[in-house]
Amino acid sequence: MDMTLNAFTLYILTGLQLGSIFVLIALGLTLIFGTLGVVNFAHGALYLIAIYLAVSINNALGFGLALILVPPILFIFGVLMERGLIQRFYDRPHTDQILVTFGLAIVIQELLKWAFGANNIPFAIPSWGNGILMLHDYLPFLEGFVVYPKWRLILVVVSIITVAAVFALLHLTRFGLVIRAGMRDAEMMQFLGVNINRRFMIVFGLGSMIAGIAGVFGGPVTQVSPEVGMHLLVPSFLVVVIGGMGSLGGAVIAGVLIGMAQSFTAPYINLNTVIIYLITVVILLVRPRGLMGAKGVFE
Amino acid sequence: MNNQQSFWQLNKAVVLFALVALTMPLWFPLINGYSGLDTKIMIFCIFLVGFDILLGFTGYLSFGHAAFFGIAAYSTGLMLKNFSDNIIPAIIVAVIAATLVAIVIGLLTLKRTGIYFSILTLAFAEMFHSMAMAMLQTWTGGENGLTGMPTPMLFDIKMQGSAVFYFTAIMAILLFYIAKRIERSPVGLMMKAIKCNQTRLEYTGINARKYKLLAFVISAMYAAIAGALMVVYEPFVGHEFLGWHQSGEVVIMSVIGGVGTLVGPMIGAAFMLYFENVLSVDLGEQWLLVLGLIFMFVVIFMPGGFMEAVERIKKRFITTADGE
Repeated sequence: MDMTLNAFTLYILTGLQLGSIFVLIALGLTLIFGTLGVVNFAHGALYLIAIYLAVSINNALGFGLALILVPPILFIFGVLMERGLIQRFYDRPHTDQILVTFGLAIVIQELLKWAFGANNIPFAIPSWGNGILMLHDYLPFLEGFVVYPKWRLILVVVSIITVAAVFALLHLTRFGLVIRAGMRDAEMMQFLGVNINRRFMIVFGLGSMIAGIAGVFGGPVTQVSPEVGMHLLVPSFLVVVIGGMGSLGGAVIAGVLIGMAQSFTAPYINLNTVIIYLITVVILLVRPRGLMGAKGVFE
Repeated sequence: MNNQQSFWQLNKAVVLFALVALTMPLWFPLINGYSGLDTKIMIFCIFLVGFDILLGFTGYLSFGHAAFFGIAAYSTGLMLKNFSDNIIPAIIVAVIAATLVAIVIGLLTLKRTGIYFSILTLAFAEMFHSMAMAMLQTWTGGENGLTGMPTPMLFDIKMQGSAVFYFTAIMAILLFYIAKRIERSPVGLMMKAIKCNQTRLEYTGINARKYKLLAFVISAMYAAIAGALMVVYEPFVGHEFLGWHQSGEVVIMSVIGGVGTLVGPMIGAAFMLYFENVLSVDLGEQWLLVLGLIFMFVVIFMPGGFMEAVERIKKRFITTADGE
């Protein structure tokens, strides 16, 4: 592949941007899986709620309010979902957890389709995020005139901040310490007198909130239609599997990897449609546990 | 043990199913079922019985059985179009194609736990879906689907109307009988042991993966026969055949009917198709929402589905009878 430095930079940026959405959704998935052991088939539906809320608030009241309101609403929704539904399934087989979240995903998707219709709703980008960025002004190694949509770069920056915040929360705070210990051995934590269930509820809310952030910034990029949730869920699942189930670092690396793979294969349509599955197969054969999957996690 | 049971005891379910199935054209129109829907119900009975060999016996939840259904449907369509309008070679090629794919996917997805299996089967089915939409467009017709097949023939019989129905019904009865035989065979017992306690089974020195793969491939073959018959029933293949909606539908049918009972999933299939095509007239676009709610209700409160409901009613009836 003959590629100039300009083209290479653009591919990298597109890869990061595609990866950003996967990372944000996979982060919530793997966080919930790692702590609660629940495979949440409704996670795409959470993203769906987020983009529909975001587009409604954005188009009526402005982007600022969407940014302030959507993530907390999703947090509350996640907590309610855990308390009202998921909690009943901790003692049931994994298949039942998958089934009930799958059912919930259908119900949410159909409700949104009923309320908003099946077509794409235009998501107006706020004026400060609209337009293009002159990359050659900032990156001296680029030749000539190189531009990139500003919003997509904002999405990348938001993802980086979100990932950093989640890691800081888990590694620098006492709350995070307890959660990480709970991921290792929830039973032991309970023996030590820690109310792990309350914290698990918050983790579910957190995972849902990350989907909320993804929805606010990702909505204009992924479009706003009822099919989006399931479309994103499949690659996000693969990101979780490639990264290693329950591994946050793995999810980030795998998300970027998948994004890059999709970006760099874009000129080859046939390869592009199967590349993420090919990567998954290779990873499964070489490292069945995923890139950073810990030993003993749901073996 | 089996020798002491009479033929009737062993095959009661199959005989009853045969009676219900073969008389369907007589009673189905009485409950507003249109002709043709009965054939579709028979096709999905085949699909669901096979699916229950996997989900019901081994407990492995596949979200990708649309792959085998769709691959077989496309193979059948292409065979009818390019090779011969006789359905027998078409069905045989379709089943072989789907079986080979199932072996590869099974080897890859059954490496680890059931959670991986659910996620990865979904992913591989989506892979075939996107391949049919892009890479293989010239063969599959992409968005428009595969059309232009001749009228399928069973040697000299035109496969239309009641000919398709009886052919499908006889296949369904035969395949249900085979599934029942598998259920009470030693292999079936191994499969059920995987669901009960896979670790313990492996500690007894038995290669559980072999039986998992066998269950997976058998269920894929059932799905393939269903997919092939779908094209015989209606000479068209849409890309939806491969989509996650199709896989999800099968899961929903199984659970509503009662996983692990073989009969239950068939009832689930009949219920859902009837619901989708007849009852949904009053619900319009929202039928899927109502179905989703029914499905969630079943998963939460009645994990055994319709069959559990029947059992509960029976039990209550019997206990009150004893109390008197």
